[in-house]
Amino acid sequence: MTFLQDPEFGDRIITLMAALVLVLQIAAVGQRWLVSSIRIFAVQSFLLAAIAGIIAYFNHASHIYVAAVLTLILKAGLLPWFLERLVKRIEIRREIEPLINAPLSILIAGCLTLVGYVVAQSFYHPEETSVRALGHNTLAVAIALFLIGFFTMLNRRKALTQVLGLLSLENGLFLAAISLTYGMPLVVELGIFFDVLVAVMVLGILVFRIREAFDSMDVSRLRKLRE
Amino acid sequence: MSGMLAKAGLQLALVLLVAPLLSGIIKTLKARLQNRRGPNILQTYRDIFKLLRKGMVIPETASWIFPATPYIVFATAALVGLMIPMVATDAPLSLFGGVLAVVYLLALGRFFLALGGLDAGSSFGGLGSSREMTISAIAEPTMMLAIFTVALAASSTNLSEMAKVAVSQSWKFLAPSQMLAFAALFIVLIAETGRIPVDNPATHLELTMIHEAMILEYSGPYLALLEWGASIKQLVLMTLVVNTFFPFGLSSDWTARGLGLGLLYYLTKMFLLACLIVLVETTNAKLRFFRVPELLMVSFIFGALALISTFLF
Repeated sequence: MTFLQDPEFGDRIITLMAALVLVLQIAAVGQRWLVSSIRIFAVQSFLLAAIAGIIAYFNHASHIYVAAVLTLILKAGLLPWFLERLVKRIEIRREIEPLINAPLSILIAGCLTLVGYVVAQSFYHPEETSVRALGHNTLAVAIALFLIGFFTMLNRRKALTQVLGLLSLENGLFLAAISLTYGMPLVVELGIFFDVLVAVMVLGILVFRIREAFDSMDVSRLRKLRE
Repeated sequence: MSGMLAKAGLQLALVLLVAPLLSGIIKTLKARLQNRRGPNILQTYRDIFKLLRKGMVIPETASWIFPATPYIVFATAALVGLMIPMVATDAPLSLFGGVLAVVYLLALGRFFLALGGLDAGSSFGGLGSSREMTISAIAEPTMMLAIFTVALAASSTNLSEMAKVAVSQSWKFLAPSQMLAFAALFIVLIAETGRIPVDNPATHLELTMIHEAMILEYSGPYLALLEWGASIKQLVLMTLVVNTFFPFGLSSDWTARGLGLGLLYYLTKMFLLACLIVLVETTNAKLRFFRVPELLMVSFIFGALALISTFLF
C-alpha cells in the first residue's frame, strides 16, 4: 500500500471528491423536491467531511480532523435532520418554484462553474509558491459551489430553499478554506460552524413564522404589509 | 490473422452469451429489492429461445425496412461489442477513431429501429419512434462529449489505446473531469437502455412506453433478435462505462491466465454497475415525458463541463 503515503494520490482523491460535490450541486439546481434537495446537501457535506479528513491525513494536520468530525456531525447529520423535520411540520414536501425554469438554471449553473474555473486559474502560480498547495481544481470547485449557492438563493422563492442555498454557499467557503490554507485556526472554524448552526435555526423558526402568517413560504409576499 | 479471428470469436461469444444473462441478473436484482421473487436469471435465454421457434406476423403495410431492421439492430450492437475492450485492453476490432464508430453504429441501429417502428404502420410505433428520436437528439451528443473527455486524457480516439494508457497510468489517470463525464454517461446509459426515470423496460401496456412501442408489431424470431439486440446494446454501453472510467483489471495480453483474471474483474465491475442501475430504478419514479429532456440537459451540461474543464487545466 505504498500509494497511501503518496501525497499526489491524496490530491487526486480530493479533486475527484470535489468534482463529485460539484456534480451534486448542479444536480441540486435542477431538483424539484425539497426533501431530495436536503438529502443532496447532506451527501455533499459528508463528502466535504471526507475531503477534510483526507487533507488532515496526508498533511498530518490533526486539527483538521476536528473540523472534519464537526462537519460530519453538524452539516451531514444535525442540519439535514432539523430541516427535514421542519419540512414535515410545515407540510410542504413538493415543489420548489424557481424563478427561472430548470433547464435554463442548469445552464446558468454550468456557466457559473466555468466562471469559477477561470477565477481559480488566476490564483494558480505554481512557480511562486514554495509550499505545494492543493489542486487549484478544488479551488475552482469551491468558487463554483459558492456562486451556484448564491444563484440558488436568488432563483428560489421559498424561504426554505433559500436556506439550502445559503448552506451550500457556506460549503463552498469551507472547501475553499481547507483547500487553500490546510485549515484555518480551529477557533475560526468553530466560530463559523456555530454561526451557520444558529443561522439555520433562526431561519428555520422564521420560515415557520412566515408560513403561519402568510400560509405560504413564498418570500415575495413579505412585500405586502398587513395590519 | 487466425489469432485475430480467435480473439474476435471469443469476444463475440462473450458478448452474445453474457448479454441475456446481464438482463436476467438486473431483472432478478430489481425484483429482490422490491420484495418480489422475480424471474429466473436464465429467463431471458428461454424467452429468446422460445421466440426463435415461433412463427411471425408481418404487417401488410410493411416494406423491406421492417424485416431488415432486426438484423441491422442486432448486427450493429454485436459489432460495437467487438470494438470495445471487455476483458483485455486490445479489442479485436480496434481502429483509429473507434469512439466515433461506436457512437454512430449505435445511432445507425437506433435509426433503423425508429424506421421499423414507423414502417409497421401502427400509431403506437410512430409515437415510440418520435419519442426515441427526441431523447437521442440530446443523449447522443452527450455521449460523445463524455467519451471525448477520456479520449483527450489518453490522447487517442482508439478505444484500445485509451484502455492501454489508462491501465498503464493506473490511478494517475483519474481526473476530476472524468467524474463529470461519468455522471453524464451514466444518465445517457439510463436513457439509452430505456431504464426507469426515462422509460419503463418492464411493461408494454403503458401509453408512455418508448422502446416497447417501437417493437410492438414485431413477433417471433424478429422479436427475438430485437430483444437480444437490445440486451447486447445494454451490455455494450455498460462495458463502455465501466472500462473507460474504471479500467483496472483489464488484461494486457490474451493469455489464458490474464483473460481469466480479466474476466473475473470485468464481471465484478459489471455486477456493481448493475446494482447501481437497479438502485436508481427502484428509488426513482418514471419521469413525465416532457421532463426527460430536463434530465438529459443535466447530463449534457456535465458532459460539456467535463470537456471544457480538461482544456482549462
